[in-house]
Amino acid sequence: MKLKQMAAIIVIAYGVLAVLPMFVGDIPYIMNILIMCLIWAVVASSWDVIMGFAGIFSFGQVAFFVMGAYCSAILAINFHIPPVFTIIIAGFFTAGMGVLVGLPCLKLAGPYVALVTFGVHMALQPLLKGQIGIALGSGGALGLLAIPPISIFGYTFGTDNIVPTFYLILVISMACALTIMAMVKSYWGLAFLALKDSQPFATSLGISAFKYKLMVFAVTSFLTGIIGGVYGHFYGVLSVRMLDLDLFSILMVMILAGGLGHFPGAIIGSFLVVAASELMAPLGVYRAVTMGAIVVVLVLALPDGVMGVFSKRLNNHAQKA
Amino acid sequence: MLKLSNVTKRFGALIAVNNLSFEVSQGQVFGIAGPNGAGKSTVYNLITGFYDFEGSIRFDGKEISGMKPHQIAQLGISRTFQIPQTFPSLTVEQSLEVGNRFGNRAKHDARRIERIIDFVELQSERHEFTGTLNLLGKKKLMIGAALATDPKILMLDEPMAGSNAHEIKALMELIQRMNQELGITIIIIEHFMKVLTELTETLLIIETGTEICCGDPEVVTSDPRVIECYLGGDDD
Ligand SMILES: Nc1ncnc2c1ncn2[C@@H]1O[C@H](COP(=O)(O)OP(=O)(O)OP(=O)(O)O)[C@@H](O)[C@H]1O
Ligand SMILES: [Mg+2]
Repeated sequence: MKLKQMAAIIVIAYGVLAVLPMFVGDIPYIMNILIMCLIWAVVASSWDVIMGFAGIFSFGQVAFFVMGAYCSAILAINFHIPPVFTIIIAGFFTAGMGVLVGLPCLKLAGPYVALVTFGVHMALQPLLKGQIGIALGSGGALGLLAIPPISIFGYTFGTDNIVPTFYLILVISMACALTIMAMVKSYWGLAFLALKDSQPFATSLGISAFKYKLMVFAVTSFLTGIIGGVYGHFYGVLSVRMLDLDLFSILMVMILAGGLGHFPGAIIGSFLVVAASELMAPLGVYRAVTMGAIVVVLVLALPDGVMGVFSKRLNNHAQKA
Repeated sequence: MLKLSNVTKRFGALIAVNNLSFEVSQGQVFGIAGPNGAGKSTVYNLITGFYDFEGSIRFDGKEISGMKPHQIAQLGISRTFQIPQTFPSLTVEQSLEVGNRFGNRAKHDARRIERIIDFVELQSERHEFTGTLNLLGKKKLMIGAALATDPKILMLDEPMAGSNAHEIKALMELIQRMNQELGITIIIIEHFMKVLTELTETLLIIETGTEICCGDPEVVTSDPRVIECYLGGDDD
């Protein structure tokens, strides 16, 4: 997909979301859902970049999100650092953790990378709940209950003024999406794809596998950490229950719906899945089953997700032109 | 230019390359032959940094053992693979861009890619994804991508395998042009003796990782030890 097409899809997707508050701005429940769309869009598309685009089967994405959220919240609560700064610090902290997790993965084949990274996910919950977590200020099993909201020049972005908060998070989310776009379309993106397709061929042409694989970990976990921080300050509460498999699997569904490795598909996938999940709320306990069934159908019918349909259209169009 | 001294590679108990020494000088076309499993591809993998080994490999006087594949590529040693490698997610043009962008320190130069596409004759496939190329196309792609790194040495691993007479002729011409017009030193692994005697100035024969003989291809191919090793090992 061309850079222009990619940019157009991103702008349209965020544009559609941006006009919605005109109609539903006074319904906090729906505004909340829209903000979740913006947040999951970043988590899902960073995950898609490392897993689908770069072909590194990292299952540590939710763990990085939680690390970013806790890092930013703990710094803001315990050290009274303004959230604007703690969010940035959380980004760098999570990027560092990403590199640490990435290092042992360099020598491993696909399935083992999945195991190692999922191990990190599994270890995080007991760590945050236990003595170490409590010493670090995680709040243990109870979690964090009074995370200060983002505040810029004395103006507080919280649930009380949800429309401005929505636009702030929209700007952050879109900035993350554009960063991803710039990356996958740059020569870094070329290196990621070449390494995914044939590491021997890629390295024989001068690409450092070490450098570029760690770069994927660093950048995707940086963005995930940032948006994790934003999430915590918006919600005001955090708990280790985020590490249960619900979030993990719904993010996976978002990526599949958008099209694995078809950025910016994951952004659209996130918007659609959040909406679908809310629409199915009346189904109660049958919601998860229905969602599962839809996923199966989706994967069989549209293996490249929404984006697969899009790019086919665009290609046909280009060939006719 | 490229000098291997007492190079040994073990895979567990198996000695794939056994105390091998040879030297390739600038501007040469240097051939390597030997029966299946003789260790030819392994020699390439050692030179290009894919495995560690015992002994020494020097390029332009510089020891390259311990260096990573991408660093060796950036020094000017390039290669193709016996099992054709492609980037299915990338087009022909983008694959050459990989070599051009990462393989040499100089900046991206679109005109160079242009020249190479013409040189290896991939003009009509330039926007195709490389996974869809036919065998000859894949080989030309590997050579083109390697050329895009602006190599001093190009090492070809059985470039003729699976090709018909017509394609072999075209590939031989391409190799000669790379050597003469672009001034690139060539090392070639090949099973076709005719190709080797026609192309190379020096021919090295190895068997079970050990040198059998090395020298003028006409002399080497009539050496009784070589004939015996080929008759003895020729069971496929
Ligand atoms: N990564 C590896 N691990 C273990 N053994 C290996 C490895 N690579 C090569 N070998 C063994 O080393 C020996 C030499 O293999 P190599 O591929 O270098 O032979 P070759 O001369 O290129 O043969 P061919 O003509 O079939 O390509 C073989 O016995 C092979 O099985
Ligand atoms: Mg071989």
